[in-house]
Amino acid sequence: MAAFLAALSLPCTAFAGPEEDRLAFVSFFQSRFPDILFDEFANGIYAIDADSRAQWLEIEEFPPYEFAIEHGQSLWQKPFSNGSAYADCFKQPLAEVRAAYPAFDAGRAEVVTLEVAINDCRVANDETPFAYDASELIDLTAYLGYTARGKKIDVQIPADEPGALAAYEYGKRFYYSKRGQLNFACADCHVTSVGMRVRADRLSASLGHPTHFPVYRSKLGGMISLQQRFFGCVRDVRARPFELQSTEYRNLEFFLAYMSNGLTINGPGARK
Amino acid sequence: MAPAHASNIAMTIVIALLAAPVLAEDIGARLAEAEDLRQKAAEAGYEWLETAALLEQAREEAEKGSLDNAIALIEKARLQAEAALTQAEREAEAWRSRVVR
Ligand code: HEC
Repeated sequence: MAAFLAALSLPCTAFAGPEEDRLAFVSFFQSRFPDILFDEFANGIYAIDADSRAQWLEIEEFPPYEFAIEHGQSLWQKPFSNGSAYADCFKQPLAEVRAAYPAFDAGRAEVVTLEVAINDCRVANDETPFAYDASELIDLTAYLGYTARGKKIDVQIPADEPGALAAYEYGKRFYYSKRGQLNFACADCHVTSVGMRVRADRLSASLGHPTHFPVYRSKLGGMISLQQRFFGCVRDVRARPFELQSTEYRNLEFFLAYMSNGLTINGPGARK
Repeated sequence: MAPAHASNIAMTIVIALLAAPVLAEDIGARLAEAEDLRQKAAEAGYEWLETAALLEQAREEAEKGSLDNAIALIEKARLQAEAALTQAEREAEAWRSRVVR
């Protein structure tokens, strides 16, 4: 039996590409939670925690992120001083902007996230870029997330683009590496210990994390981006956090978004 | 008795005066060593949360002349940076064992 298993796992370990990784990732969570439908993982912890789900559904009746969507919309529609607008940078239909990111940009040889693309558009139009924790920027992504509701996450790793695979591998390695004084990997909490209780929280699955950001956090009374969550979780294991939109976090986002391919975008979200 | 006592005090002062500059230099070297290790850990992407702040506190204590406090803080920072570098070395391969297959 052991030899049989070893033989089975050998080709995987040697040649596992992104799609094999994704299928294994999805089936891990599906076998851990056999009663939960694939698409439900887009709801994060509320997919697996019945107690907090009722509370969350109540919150969603008067969504605390509504203001962020409206603010984002008015920012999106306001022309730059040169008369152009965001829509001149993003050529796809409005509802498809969000799902186009994160993407590997071959010309720049790096991962571009929605936040980076928005700032690029500003710079190209002689506007100052936003700080990556600026509420204007987060509200713009809230609006774009909202208009993209119902679209699928669809991260591409083109076979003829070795840089894209390298960025993916970097993010994958980051995700599975233990770091900080507490010596934890992301996967230790959001894979191995998924569903378990940590102080007041239950640990959500990483599958589905990228679908619902940005998120309104009642604890903080404001909206935060996906990478601000990365920042917080890295600090919580007592490692020095990386800058928002650093290569580390962009590659991590690229990997995690790829793992969530096929899930439905449902941002912005609301969390404790 | 009294003269001996006085000379003891004098001796102590002489030792302190002699030792102080040596210690200050020593602290400079220890700080530089710990700072170098911290930077190596940061370059590896494995710096721990507190290490830089510990070194900053150590500098402040040294400036105030609290050399013992400074040395204790530097030592703590150095151990953290070393542990972070060990972690980086171990994780260069160890992460693979955690990949969901
Ligand atoms: C010590 C355990 C622990 C580790 C390690 C950890 N997290 Fe978290 N994380 C949490 C807890 C607790 C929450 C809040 C409850 C939840 O949604 O899981 C959370 C929440 C999140 C969320 C928000 C989920 C949502 O739906 O809003 C994201 C994204 C996230 N973590 C990503 C990461 C990443 C990436 C790493 C590795 C850099 C990581 N976490 C490491 C404990 C951890």
